[in-house]
Amino acid sequence: MDFSEEIRSKAKELLESGTVDCIIGYERATDGVVARPLFVYQPSNVDRLIFDQTCAHNLTKYLLNRKDKATAIVVKPCDSRAINLLINESQIQRDKVSIIGVVCPGIVKAGLDNTSGELQDACLTCQQHTPVLYDFLVGEPASEPDVPDAYPDVSGMEDKSAGERRAFWEEQFSRCIRCYACRQVCPGCYCLECFVERLDPMWVGIRIAPGENEVWNTIRAFHLAGRCIDCNECERVCPVNIPLSLLNRKLGKEVEELFNFQAGIDAETPMPFSTFDKEEKLGISE
Amino acid sequence: MSEFISKQDLLTWLGQLMGERNLVAPTRVDDLLLFRKVDRVEDIVFDFDNTTMSPKEWFYPSSETLFYVEQKDGQTELIPAAIEKETAIFGIRPCDAQGMAMNDYPFLEEPADALYMQHRDKTALIGLACITACPECFCTSMGCGPHDPANVDILLTEVTDGYIAQVLTDKGKTLLPDNLLTTADVSSPPAPVLSEVPSDGIAEKMRQAFDEPFWDRLADRCIHCNICSYVCPTCYCFDVRDYTDKERIERVRSWESCQSPGFTRLAGGHDPRSTKGSRLRQRFSHKLLYFPRQFGALGCIGCGRCVRACPVNIDIREIIKDVQQLGVKSEA
Amino acid sequence: MKPENPLLPYLSTLQELIDLTPDVKLFRLELNDPDIRESFDYKPGQFVFVSAFGVGESPFGITSVAHRKAGLDVAIRRVGTVTNALHQLEPGATVGVRGPFGNYFPLDEYKGKNIFIIGGGIGFAPLRPIITTVLDYREDYGDLVIINGARSPQDLVFAPEFDAWAASPKTKLELTVDAGDEKWTGKVALIPSVVSELKLSPQNAIAITCGPPIMIHFTLIELRKLGFADNQIITTLEGKMKCGLGKCARCNVGEKYICKDGPVFSMEQISQLIEQF
Repeated sequence: MDFSEEIRSKAKELLESGTVDCIIGYERATDGVVARPLFVYQPSNVDRLIFDQTCAHNLTKYLLNRKDKATAIVVKPCDSRAINLLINESQIQRDKVSIIGVVCPGIVKAGLDNTSGELQDACLTCQQHTPVLYDFLVGEPASEPDVPDAYPDVSGMEDKSAGERRAFWEEQFSRCIRCYACRQVCPGCYCLECFVERLDPMWVGIRIAPGENEVWNTIRAFHLAGRCIDCNECERVCPVNIPLSLLNRKLGKEVEELFNFQAGIDAETPMPFSTFDKEEKLGISE
Repeated sequence: MSEFISKQDLLTWLGQLMGERNLVAPTRVDDLLLFRKVDRVEDIVFDFDNTTMSPKEWFYPSSETLFYVEQKDGQTELIPAAIEKETAIFGIRPCDAQGMAMNDYPFLEEPADALYMQHRDKTALIGLACITACPECFCTSMGCGPHDPANVDILLTEVTDGYIAQVLTDKGKTLLPDNLLTTADVSSPPAPVLSEVPSDGIAEKMRQAFDEPFWDRLADRCIHCNICSYVCPTCYCFDVRDYTDKERIERVRSWESCQSPGFTRLAGGHDPRSTKGSRLRQRFSHKLLYFPRQFGALGCIGCGRCVRACPVNIDIREIIKDVQQLGVKSEA
Repeated sequence: MKPENPLLPYLSTLQELIDLTPDVKLFRLELNDPDIRESFDYKPGQFVFVSAFGVGESPFGITSVAHRKAGLDVAIRRVGTVTNALHQLEPGATVGVRGPFGNYFPLDEYKGKNIFIIGGGIGFAPLRPIITTVLDYREDYGDLVIINGARSPQDLVFAPEFDAWAASPKTKLELTVDAGDEKWTGKVALIPSVVSELKLSPQNAIAITCGPPIMIHFTLIELRKLGFADNQIITTLEGKMKCGLGKCARCNVGEKYICKDGPVFSMEQISQLIEQF
């Protein structure tokens, strides 16, 4: 799949008409194979834009650096859920963003080129190939796939004993180097002062070591419970291959089962953990 | 004619080293290749390009206790940390060894950092020359080379059935017993040819490009994580924090990155490098302009780890090329 | 025991805490080890790191002078976690001291010259040892003009010394506040306008200034208007620091480290820096 031409022509139109000051899209990376984010400010630069199955990045986090400026952005369906999240949580204004949505057949594994056909694991359980929110659509919407089991990775883990799971996560977090790439790339992580930077009280210190690493990763996952839109960026950017999505998807599965809620499907449904109802669900066994 | 050690003798020797000191070598940790302390020779990987994380963590750990403070019965005692055991690092590439030599400049400059100095003194480097190169390697453009024997105690170059062994320092002589070496009629394979990066005169060009909007545009896609600084052999920024556990206080130093938002933010809230562009410019200016001005050598040794690891393909090779071009444009 | 690791603090005891303003206290410290105390020499402009063990460490300009051999003083404004913890200590508490770090005001070069000290708020702290030195060696220096400003009368730092300063020979003290109170009868004006009003002459003079960035910015404009050359205007910079040794690579302004190449810089040196803050 290659939608580069369509993206370029839409981008040119939006810039030339003055609808936006900037397009956030993708271009080819220096290895000539994978993609990287690209910010286009001049119509003469739109030819650098590409869109194909190497365009893994979720670009929506960048919208938070341009809150008061008119911006166009290229989004896949998973990315579009992040825009709903950010609108719902009052972080961006809908009328400032021109959304170029792309119908997505899946992104190829890291390092592979557009022709490889080998999709990343995260794309195999995707239930939305058409963006949930857009101003312009590139590609023909097809019927959504039937995915009988959306969380086989999570169920696989749930089947293991507590001891096995503990050992697994201890091993994984021991490799964490606290680069915070997972947090920086995540559209749901936008706190001006992250809990990990707090000194008083000091929830987590600066020690790059097991113990602290576990606290960092698990609390971040909890802060995303009911908010994570499952774009897999955290896991993709992790330099030491920690399966972070697994943790976030576990909590996402729990929230779906408890509250019948999935983050990012729309921008209006009240979010479970930031909504206070006089009649709350009190017990898990209700 | 060269000094030669057979593969079998090498394995025996590494096994011996393991008994007397920490032996650190490239080893598989899940899908990653990392320098770890090994207890079995079978765990050592010999056939590899380079590790994900550099070996700097063996001289400058990601977290390190500086000292303890114990307060009891109105008395306060300060107990400094000390490095006791000897270490040998096997499998360090010439570029990384150059990187460790670069770190010596800031850390050993008066007043020398005591813990770093102890690590350095107690560690021997057994280098492994590069037979192939990764696509991202560019050490030859940064003052180093795939067969460069500088900065290691012993350099091994793979040939048929074993390695050419160059013993370069007294520490290396003490480490490798003569009886394991034979003289053989073998010569080094040619060094791999690496792609070139136009690093000549880069410091001056970086100076000229300092106020260009280039840095803000580049920073548009930077996510300001710490990956580049942490995988890099020559990045050395650190943070210091106190921990209290019952009566014992511990002061710990950990890696930090100039890319983090808030790296330069003062307690009152003022932040001289609050923009993304100024932070991004700081890292490359440090490596390619300030470090050379301060110490006379480039702060980047061309290992390519940052290029592989950066989630948004901020590529120092591309930056060097672009900055060289910026100078040309402004003259035109 | 002299620590060999420059990151290890000297154990010191807090002798006295004096309130200077609602958020600034003067800390009188004494290094515990007699040999270290004896050999601890420093010059105006230098700074130390003070540790509140268990909380952390921060850099502070030294406000005492070594030649009086009367202990080590720092003036600390309560603004964050470490300074808050330090403010809550009682006399007798053990703290850590590392230093002295940084360069210093080259007072020998200022001998025979007129000295103009222009400080705002807690920025006055590193300037005080210059005043003490000039007054202790009065014959060595020309006229001394001290402009000390703050947001309000209670925020003026080193009030207990104002009378002594004003009474010294060839010395003029101008206090000024942004906003007065019912009791204040002095000047109500911003520091730069006081500089302009006094028509300070650049003839054989050095102007040394420290304070919030905006105050320095406008003071600089006035001094330049009066004809001061950039090498006659001296300031002391601050930055976030963790080591004080140029090793944690945090406090640099371009290729210069505030902790090693500064904190004292002339405006001429600052204008030549690659990075401009």
